[in-house]
Amino acid sequence: MSAVPYTVERRPDTGVNNVQLGIWLFLASEVMLFGGLFSAYFMLRAGAPQAWRPLSSHLWSALANTLLLAAATATLKTGTATVSGLRLRVAASGGFAIAFCVSKLSEYASFIGAGLGPAASTQMATYYLLTGVHVFHVLGGLVANLWIAWTAGDERSVVRNRVEATTLYWLFVDMVWLLIAVLLYVV
Amino acid sequence: MLARWFSLDHKIIGLQYAVTSMVFLLVGFGLMMLLRWQLAYPMQPIPLIGSLLGSQNVAQGIMLPEFYNQLGAMHGTIMIFLGVVPLSVGGFGNYLVPLQVGASDMAFPRLNMLSYWIYVAGGLVMLASFFVPGGAANSGWTSYPPLADIATTGQTWWLAAMILLITSSLLGSINIIVTILQLRAPGLTFMRLPFLVWAQLVTAFLLLLAFPPLEAAGLMQLMDRVAGTSFFLPTGLVVGNKVAAVAGGGNPLLWQHLFWFLGHPEVYVLILPAMGIVAEVIANNIRKPLWGYRLMVWSAMFLGFMSMLVWAHHMFLTGMGTTMSAFFQTTTMIISIPSVIILTSLLVSLWGGSIRFTTPMLFALAFLPMFGLGGLTGLPLGLAASDIHLHDTYYVVGHFHYVVAPGTIFALFAGVYYWFPKVTGRMLDERLGRLHFAGSFICMNAVFMPMFIQGLAGLNRRLYDGGIGYSHAHGLQKWNVMQGWAAWTLGLVQLLFFINVAVTLWRGRRVSDNPWDATTLEWATATPPPHGNFASAPTVYRGAYEYSAPGAPGDFLPQHEPAKTGTAPVSETGTAPVSSRPPA
Repeated sequence: MSAVPYTVERRPDTGVNNVQLGIWLFLASEVMLFGGLFSAYFMLRAGAPQAWRPLSSHLWSALANTLLLAAATATLKTGTATVSGLRLRVAASGGFAIAFCVSKLSEYASFIGAGLGPAASTQMATYYLLTGVHVFHVLGGLVANLWIAWTAGDERSVVRNRVEATTLYWLFVDMVWLLIAVLLYVV
Repeated sequence: MLARWFSLDHKIIGLQYAVTSMVFLLVGFGLMMLLRWQLAYPMQPIPLIGSLLGSQNVAQGIMLPEFYNQLGAMHGTIMIFLGVVPLSVGGFGNYLVPLQVGASDMAFPRLNMLSYWIYVAGGLVMLASFFVPGGAANSGWTSYPPLADIATTGQTWWLAAMILLITSSLLGSINIIVTILQLRAPGLTFMRLPFLVWAQLVTAFLLLLAFPPLEAAGLMQLMDRVAGTSFFLPTGLVVGNKVAAVAGGGNPLLWQHLFWFLGHPEVYVLILPAMGIVAEVIANNIRKPLWGYRLMVWSAMFLGFMSMLVWAHHMFLTGMGTTMSAFFQTTTMIISIPSVIILTSLLVSLWGGSIRFTTPMLFALAFLPMFGLGGLTGLPLGLAASDIHLHDTYYVVGHFHYVVAPGTIFALFAGVYYWFPKVTGRMLDERLGRLHFAGSFICMNAVFMPMFIQGLAGLNRRLYDGGIGYSHAHGLQKWNVMQGWAAWTLGLVQLLFFINVAVTLWRGRRVSDNPWDATTLEWATATPPPHGNFASAPTVYRGAYEYSAPGAPGDFLPQHEPAKTGTAPVSETGTAPVSSRPPA
């Protein structure tokens, strides 16, 4: 008795395979991580001595970032399933994700240039906290993409499993971004 | 060699966890034995080792207040996050869960190996922090800001280590949940799972969902310390008679909320696997099915759920308001119910059993009143009115130590004595085991019982001089002396355990694959189990505790043995036929 079962095929009574269940559990813990960060945001904003104003000067860059992130997910999700096709999808997705990170860093630079570093105010601190943790998740997605490209030659069903899990992760990263963008730049 | 250290086998990883965490338990215990000297004999030079502790920690052999604070903070941190949790979840969970569900390994073996090594890294960072300027973290194991925000460098190391430990336990918990849900052997329905597996499942969900908010809080405290933010620093904070140069607008209570959102489920992370071990040992040694198995399972699940809704009972004195206090006081009273159900079920199980007083059983039996004492003394703390008097006194220290020290640690010892023959093929010596138990039982109670007296008299915890500088505590110093000697004796008694392990490994009595006549699947394979666990995939035919089953050839029916014709029918739920129960 050796190989671990249900890595690819679904277990009949639970209806999922190990990877699917694993990624959902991981995302559940991520919800709790961002849940902690968002509750901190609300508690600090509600108790702030002066009302926080949205960072509307960077609204357009936030919108562009949203599109970049959506593109990163969409390109990973759609396209041909051949090995070279998959690598192309992953590369495109990775390109959009890198563009997102670069855009984010330039936003940081412009804020810091204007004297609005993390120590400037608690509002700016929450801005760096939320977007910073999010950018780390984008970098994590990039690592996952690299790994998919690296192992794209493995058995088809295994690869499909990995792509499915990674796409789910990217969708989560997108949704968190939408929440962050609305909270920081709009309201 | 490398393949041995970085093994993917869940049993090797489980043992790595167990051995490492026991070393950390010893380190944490050592810190406490040092600290106890200062409490028993305040401002007197530490004998023998006083000169070895470094001039930044002791002056002329006398412990400095800064070092005392480090010992307290690191004792708590090491015992909980590097000792008990890795031993009960990483050690027992890793070793036993795949075996008890009849799987060949964990669902994600590489992730399993990774989570162990991240844990080791976290532990090393934590230990290394003793050697940075200003020493290790010294703001209490709870790291409350603003104090922790402005503390010495050690606090930054503490945060870094905690982020590693949280990551490790996150990966571990995903692995345990997927293994239990996905890799159960054919026939092993949920209500046939051993209670230990259920306990590990609920624990894993708590680790998965309760730890991340602390990670969020840890990141914020890290930013406060490194990037100059003020998440936890209010406007107008005065440090050293000067208004601190920070942006302000932060909230120290935010940390407490996020910390205790982990902190309270953490209590159940500490206690549930212990209950699981005790249930296995008791069922095996009373030779009859557990009473109320289903009730225990549902209670464990309810306990897990409720544990996320009680955190602010640690914060009654923060001025958060009576509405909040009333809510959390209510949920706290509710959560005592499932714990009592589990404890009562175990107690009632004893009735009518033919009890074998083996060493593991002695530890398991002692767990019941010890945990009961820990739990019952918690009720006055859960009521906001009485908590006003008891908060931050030694009463609290006594309360939670009864839960985790003679509670959880006794259960863990029960587990070590019980599964040692499965892991090594040799039985630990019973006489040494009994001595170890008796000594530990007496010393533990001698350490912790007086804490209730001290606490009720109003003695605050964390006092550097043990209270002698305060008039109301003058009559209490004799207890500190007694606790000190009891703690040092407790340390000596543990030598019996290590001697027992060493001698047994060398020339202990060899035993069969199933020396305790147990029913669960880990006893159905070779000893020690080979890589891949079972020669052929086992099939499960009945519940986990078919002891004294009528018609069985011995007095038990293993889970994996097909029913023979002519034996009594066994119900689908795994409870024994009515005829085998004692008369009502």
